[in-house]
Amino acid sequence: MAMKPEDALQAIAAARGDAVCVPTMTTSPAWRTIAPDDLSVGCVGFMGGASSLGLGLALARPDRRVLVFDGDGSLLMQLGSLATVAGAAPRNLVHFLFKNGVYHASGAQEIPGGGGVDFVAERARAPAALAALRGGADPRRAAHGSRRQDAHDGGHGHAVPPAGGAAARSAHRGLSGEPSSACVRRRGGDGGPRLWRRACARGDWPRARS
Amino acid sequence: MPESIPAPLIIDTLKDTFRDARAALAAEGVRPRHEHLGWILSVPDTHQKTVLAALDKERALRVLTCSTEDEANAVAAGLWMGGEPFVLMIQHAGLYASINTLRGVAMDGRVPIFYMIGLLSREKDKDPRESRHSMVRYCEPLLDVFGVPHARLEGPDDVHLIPEYYRLAQKRRGPAVVLVGLETS
Repeated sequence: MAMKPEDALQAIAAARGDAVCVPTMTTSPAWRTIAPDDLSVGCVGFMGGASSLGLGLALARPDRRVLVFDGDGSLLMQLGSLATVAGAAPRNLVHFLFKNGVYHASGAQEIPGGGGVDFVAERARAPAALAALRGGADPRRAAHGSRRQDAHDGGHGHAVPPAGGAAARSAHRGLSGEPSSACVRRRGGDGGPRLWRRACARGDWPRARS
Repeated sequence: MPESIPAPLIIDTLKDTFRDARAALAAEGVRPRHEHLGWILSVPDTHQKTVLAALDKERALRVLTCSTEDEANAVAAGLWMGGEPFVLMIQHAGLYASINTLRGVAMDGRVPIFYMIGLLSREKDKDPRESRHSMVRYCEPLLDVFGVPHARLEGPDDVHLIPEYYRLAQKRRGPAVVLVGLETS
């Protein structure tokens, strides 16, 4: 079932708690309206970097949950980041993918493969992702795919499917152990501003102050 | 004549650099959230392979291997926001591949990213700018175009440049680079 991105973001905002959020591209303006706080780090100046930026935040701050709001066109620019995230396996990172099949900001040109790209095998996983956001359940280990235990932080919960599955079907496993990439079809909306916003976290992140 | 730098010397220097960085963070009131000293963000570089191999046995430094240098830059930004020391260990070809991200993150985003970049195929008897390999020859001029400060590690006596350029990145709130002149030993 398709959702409007604003609806998905509203639902996430209601459940996020004190999570640090990393919106990118078309989710950025909507998120700024929905959650105009200092716990968001916009990632628009280097397209495709949201998941990696979120990974860095999650690794640096294992005590905080980090939510990435990625776009399908953006993700395709650094698809390998899914493997890097899976390898690092931070338990505090949830990666949402907003799938509209186009580069919206530049005029809605289709992404390679267009609507045929199936990023997540089970598309309507938004409810599971939101359940993961709300926490509560202990993470369950992924049942299959490559996974490396994080030797230092005990992190687990991210996995990629076994070889043979399309890379784009990589399913990040969230806190509940369920795939937490929420595929949301976007219809309309504003383009994101081309700027790097850095205004994360409350007082205890002195480096975030510019 | 340039000399190869032993991996243990580089690793010990990085440890000292990160210790100093942790102390500076502590002075800012940032409490450590990890046992280790800092992060090595790597897209494996043949030129620095002995360092990467030795890092496998290091518990004080954490290595995160990234798929691309673009990713490594973005991960670095997140680590920096979270108050973690790090270095990017990449190759000149990776610099070329990720120059837009360096611009967007380290320069426009003003993230202090310290890079160790291997000059793979650099001839021992030539200045890199006179190399017959374009990937060696264009590295320093490219950094100059972007106004990125850089220095060359031409032997063990030059490892003091590692903490110096790390601190320079912090001070400038931007990129700073040391180029590894010869393959590490």
